[in-house]
Amino acid sequence: MSILEKFAALNNRYDHLKQVGADPFAVKFDDIISCVEGVVNGKKTLLFGTNNYLGLTFDDEAKAESIEAIRRHGTGTTGSRIANGSYKGHQELERALADFYGHTHCMVFSTGYQANLGMISTLVGKDDHLFLDADSHASIYDGSRLGHAPVVRFRHNNPDDLAKRLRRMGDQPGDKLIVVEGIYSMLGDTAPLKEFVDVKREYGAYLMVDEAHSMGVLGEHGRGLAEREGVEDDVDFVVGTFSKSLASVGGFCVSSLEGFEILRLASRPYMFTASLPPAIISSTLSALRTLRAEPQRRTKLTANSRRFYTGLRAAGFHVGPECSPIVAVMVEQPEVAVMFWKRLLEEGMYLNLALPPATPNSSAFMRSSVSAAHTDEQIDFAVALMTRVGRELGLLPEENNVCAFPGPTAVFSGERLGATAATARALPQGAGAAAGMA
Amino acid sequence: MSEAKDQLIADISEALETVINRKVELRTDMNIVNDLGLDSIAVMNFCMALEDKFDISIPLHDMASVVTVDDLAKTIETLRSNA
Repeated sequence: MSILEKFAALNNRYDHLKQVGADPFAVKFDDIISCVEGVVNGKKTLLFGTNNYLGLTFDDEAKAESIEAIRRHGTGTTGSRIANGSYKGHQELERALADFYGHTHCMVFSTGYQANLGMISTLVGKDDHLFLDADSHASIYDGSRLGHAPVVRFRHNNPDDLAKRLRRMGDQPGDKLIVVEGIYSMLGDTAPLKEFVDVKREYGAYLMVDEAHSMGVLGEHGRGLAEREGVEDDVDFVVGTFSKSLASVGGFCVSSLEGFEILRLASRPYMFTASLPPAIISSTLSALRTLRAEPQRRTKLTANSRRFYTGLRAAGFHVGPECSPIVAVMVEQPEVAVMFWKRLLEEGMYLNLALPPATPNSSAFMRSSVSAAHTDEQIDFAVALMTRVGRELGLLPEENNVCAFPGPTAVFSGERLGATAATARALPQGAGAAAGMA
Repeated sequence: MSEAKDQLIADISEALETVINRKVELRTDMNIVNDLGLDSIAVMNFCMALEDKFDISIPLHDMASVVTVDDLAKTIETLRSNA
């Protein structure tokens, strides 16, 4: 009996998965050659699972500035902001982000995960109340566990359900913080933010929006869902990441709340970790400038998302409830999903696989993310390939199979499919082997 | 077992059935995770169903100390009397 014995059940599930002949949690890239292409097992592979929304990981300017930063300022900071001090770059990036969002304050964290961990665990104390969407990302749940506030979950994207739970608190003292996400990372659905703002106002709560997957993606200027919905003034805290649209690593929180700066001395995930190295800070600053200066990337991303989403839907796949750069295809049987995923990789397409128990109703998702760097041809290739493999595995009817009474896999009404998908839960707490993907 | 307790267990069963979509015969000594085969997500969803069934707020950390059905019944009784 070893200390690892408690993972026997997880081990069993993992072994079972590998028996299908693939290991979706240990993909080895021989090389990554562009924003949307890698090499796997010696084969050039299209990347459809990278969150590289604006296609900036190979941006020439960002690379050049990053290299220059290493030359001038070294490879690492070797310590935390609080103990070892801040570099000019840290301060410059915080000012640039605050300016982008039109907020007074910004704190930069070493990862997006830590931004949620640091903000959520610190903002609410033991006498306050935290309200989380049931489908929140693992980093939000982990933040709630690191802090001391009682946590109440509400049904996914359901403002009425949140209102009901706030009402139950009655006149209990303490501040209330509601946390929602701009785009949910598994199904690509957005939060009904205007309605959440109404509830927030009615109950005098604070609202935090995690724009990790919506920054650079939604809104006229790319500030995310709050911008698109015109409710930025009502969002008290915006949390985001550098590891998606901004093509590096790190996280941030912006706010105009008076007294915000004291959080630097209270948030443990901010204080007790090494700060971001100069190379990362420089490329992130460069990517943020590009995000602001080149809205055409967002336009292309939106067009690409639509092309991919509608292509898969028209092929008969059961896709997520709304079109966004995150496109999820539901597959009822996990074994079939693993086979599907394996076949796609063999044929030169990589995407993410989400499996139960971390998914709802024992079903699996083939989860892809579209990039502005994808060409129309690459998207068409992906749709055609997924359709071919889908037919091969019996997920879609044969091309010439005209069926008067569509079976469950041949329901073509997008709205109907969307309604079903909308009830599905994404990836909450890091409970299973598929966790922590985003 | 008192009539009130029987009713409470019946109400808990009903909430659970909405989460796992199958009939269950609850006994007070049952271990919620092991005997009912609930994973961590199912437990959290069970918690939401209980909140709605009893119109109470059950913070997630209150669920952390619940092991058996009897623990759960006691927790709900306490929360209801505080409400």
